[in-house]
Amino acid sequence: MVTLDEIADLGLLQKPSSKAPEPLERSDSSYKSLGSFALEKDRQYQQQFADIYFLRLTKIKPALEQIASKAWKGTIISGETAKQVERVLDVRQGELCWVTGTVYMDMPLKPNILEDVSKDRWISAPPSAKKYYSEDGSDAVMLEDDSGRIRLIGDILKNHLLVTGCIIAAIGTENANGEFDVIDLRFADLAPQPKRWELTKQIPGRKDEDEDVDMADSPSPSSSGQGSKKIAIVSGLEFPGSDTSYTVELNLLLEYLLGEALDPSAQKEVAQISRLIIAGNSIGAEQKPLAAEDTTEKRAHKKYGYDSSTYDPVPSNLFDDFLSELLPTMPVTLLPGALDPANSSYPQQPIHAAMFPNSRSYISLPGSGEPGWLDTVTNPWEGEVEGWRVLGTGGQNLDDMFKYIDSDDRLGMMEAMCRYRCSAPTAPDTLWSYPFQEDEPYIMKQCPHLYFVGSQPEFGTRVIEGPDKQMVRLVLVPSFSGTREIVLLDMETLDVTKVKIATVSSL
Amino acid sequence: MDDYKKFLGETVLTEEKVITYQLLSRALQVNVNVAKQMLYDFHRTQNARRVESVHATYLVYGVKKAEDGTSQSRNGINDDVDMTSSMPEVDSLGEVVPTLTLSLIQEERLRDALAEYEEVSSIHVYSVGPHPAKDLALLADVAQKALMLHGSQDTKAYATIHNPFVHQRERKDRPVAAPVKTAPIATKVAPRQEAKPSFFKTAAPAPPKPKGDVKPLAEAPSETEKATSSATAPFSKKPTPSLKRGGSSNSAGGIMQAFSKAATKKIKKETETSQPATPSGDDSSIQPLSDDGEDDSEVVPQPKSRAGQKSKSEREEALRQMMEQDDVEEEEPAETPHEDDRMDDEEPPAEPEPPKEEKAEVITTSGDGRRRGKRKIMKKKQIMDDQGYLVTIQEPGWESFSEDEPAPPPPPKAKAASSGHSGPALASKGKKNAPKGSQGSIMSFFSKK
Repeated sequence: MVTLDEIADLGLLQKPSSKAPEPLERSDSSYKSLGSFALEKDRQYQQQFADIYFLRLTKIKPALEQIASKAWKGTIISGETAKQVERVLDVRQGELCWVTGTVYMDMPLKPNILEDVSKDRWISAPPSAKKYYSEDGSDAVMLEDDSGRIRLIGDILKNHLLVTGCIIAAIGTENANGEFDVIDLRFADLAPQPKRWELTKQIPGRKDEDEDVDMADSPSPSSSGQGSKKIAIVSGLEFPGSDTSYTVELNLLLEYLLGEALDPSAQKEVAQISRLIIAGNSIGAEQKPLAAEDTTEKRAHKKYGYDSSTYDPVPSNLFDDFLSELLPTMPVTLLPGALDPANSSYPQQPIHAAMFPNSRSYISLPGSGEPGWLDTVTNPWEGEVEGWRVLGTGGQNLDDMFKYIDSDDRLGMMEAMCRYRCSAPTAPDTLWSYPFQEDEPYIMKQCPHLYFVGSQPEFGTRVIEGPDKQMVRLVLVPSFSGTREIVLLDMETLDVTKVKIATVSSL
Repeated sequence: MDDYKKFLGETVLTEEKVITYQLLSRALQVNVNVAKQMLYDFHRTQNARRVESVHATYLVYGVKKAEDGTSQSRNGINDDVDMTSSMPEVDSLGEVVPTLTLSLIQEERLRDALAEYEEVSSIHVYSVGPHPAKDLALLADVAQKALMLHGSQDTKAYATIHNPFVHQRERKDRPVAAPVKTAPIATKVAPRQEAKPSFFKTAAPAPPKPKGDVKPLAEAPSETEKATSSATAPFSKKPTPSLKRGGSSNSAGGIMQAFSKAATKKIKKETETSQPATPSGDDSSIQPLSDDGEDDSEVVPQPKSRAGQKSKSEREEALRQMMEQDDVEEEEPAETPHEDDRMDDEEPPAEPEPPKEEKAEVITTSGDGRRRGKRKIMKKKQIMDDQGYLVTIQEPGWESFSEDEPAPPPPPKAKAASSGHSGPALASKGKKNAPKGSQGSIMSFFSKK
């Protein structure tokens, strides 16, 4: 409860003072983009997708088998000792054994390419179902590898989040129906975690200086969290074309990040934000024209088979303006999202610089090696910020996984991805993906310190722990257009703060 | 210091406009925090004089009370229906994190809104207006205006947070340091490059032109006039698209344009006095046309609108040079006296030609089978003088080009001239002139006809 009288003497509610306010300097940002998800420019799309599954299995299998044999070696159930079998096909009826393979979810509601082919449907319909999961229990869990496939049953399956594409080891027996009755299952769990500052160097000289100055200048008034750098993560700005309902909030966000809003003490805090990460969906969804009557008229404008009237340049222009205002004071990492002008299949490649006529001078030249001040990156993206390994996505991977599971526990799904060691398990089944041949980049070879997923309906965060004391900060970044919220991360402690922007009027 | 009262009084009370702190700080070039205090002071004094005469909105930042204890721990009790159905084991409780709320609050609602806060760390007046801000969305327009106002200005004036580490890609077309001190002619040329950004100078910014480079052009032989002038005509439209482009990408253009009117007047005035001081001897860089009128019939007059645009940009150039160096001024007026002289000859086009490309071109890169660089060309421009007559003069300029490797050594005269006249050519233009033959580039298809 705050009343007017209590705050009446706060800094800026008084006559203008003549003293010049001290200028603020923004913290430096130590930053490296890893480019793990960059695709070649002249890539082919003619390969099969099976290689992704093969690579994923072969890369995760060794670690998983180690975990499995540690857990199950010598297990004796009703007089029978469990043993390991190499392939799914080697599972013999009645024998207690464990086997490693890829999960495949057979779901009636899930789009199925084989069905489409057999029905001679070649146009991929937009995925309509909110969930692939069906209540009636018609979904089946399969375990497969390059040799064959076996159906998994057992109550334990319900205790774990399982989606197509995740790699598990399961122990159990094959019953008379040819189903594998699972007693227990294991994931690869968190990958080894790199140390902080493994790839980038802490800038000791300048940093120490800064700290010294800070300490000398403002020892007492520094409130909690002052002094340590922060990064801001925002997602789903969705700059609107015609809808102006939250333009004010977007402006306030800009003023906040620029450090123009608020009073000097708050501005000092804002100056600690050393980087903004935009996690997808910056440009708003296309507004469907309501009337179809004038389409005939519009068709006349078609040139070279392109109907220019269907393109609305306003959202991208607004976004460009937003960036060009912000960039002089803050570096920005920009991930594309589902709505952004990038390729639609995972991994999405950086949004092209041509989209930003005003801000493009901050983008580094292709091939220059230096990360740009405005770094347009892939989705998913891996990098090192302030020494922490960061993995972030625009949200499609989680949204797709969400459809498989009868739950709204998105944090749990994020955790599951880390435990699968795979950031996009459902690619390429239901999440469109580039058909990788040599590498499977979705595998988390190294466990990130910070894993964020953008464009989520709600904010959420949690720290998960791995078997080797790995700590991962999971953050669900809410969509700004829906929640008006952004996320601030303290880059020393990885503590999370949320900033909500609201308007209160009598309307 | 009291300027702001007058300013605010005028805008808010007389013009009935809404003013935000951002707009005020940019309009008066004061720090944003001072502007906030100004708004507060104005709001207080005005309302003391007359109640409810101005209305404010406030920006409040702080920690709100939790609306209800569990709402922040998502997926907790609220979602227990889902929970029991499948995942009894998964611990899905997210952390509860501190939430700071930044609210834009209408004055009338301030008391209620503050009651929802647990702690306010910052509050200030966001805007004042003559009426209660019914729809806060209207403030977005004001904010847009504020942002537009600051456009090219230095943000340091109102002290947003400064970032000392910012790095921006160098625009390749910017000369590293305009070679101002070499010679008047050289200085004339150098800034002109500035206005024509080109993709092809990526490798290296063009070195400042030595004087020697420029000279031969001024003394260009005139025997090829006829051939080239006829060849020029079809291409005379070319320069404009690229010029436009250059203009738009040049952020300073706005200012320069704003100044250009006044500046041209200034030039005019000066020319009246300095007219005798500009004989044809030293003004070789600006060639008035129609020294010998024999080619008149061959030359197609340039389209007027384009000429207008072009001359405008040229004028800007002239102005820029004038600002950069005073002694250029002596030369600059050369433009206008001739205008006055030639009022009655319509488009007398005979002009000394710059066919010696090889001498006056600077090749910056020549890798991958293409030569890129700049070359000196003569450009025609038409100027509407103050009495409404069109005057065509010719000026040297630099165009960037990119063409296939084998092109340069023995360029056929006509071709050289034509490419020379294609203005600051884009890649496609260069390509077009390459001796490849009839195929050409697809870009030629898109060029304005």
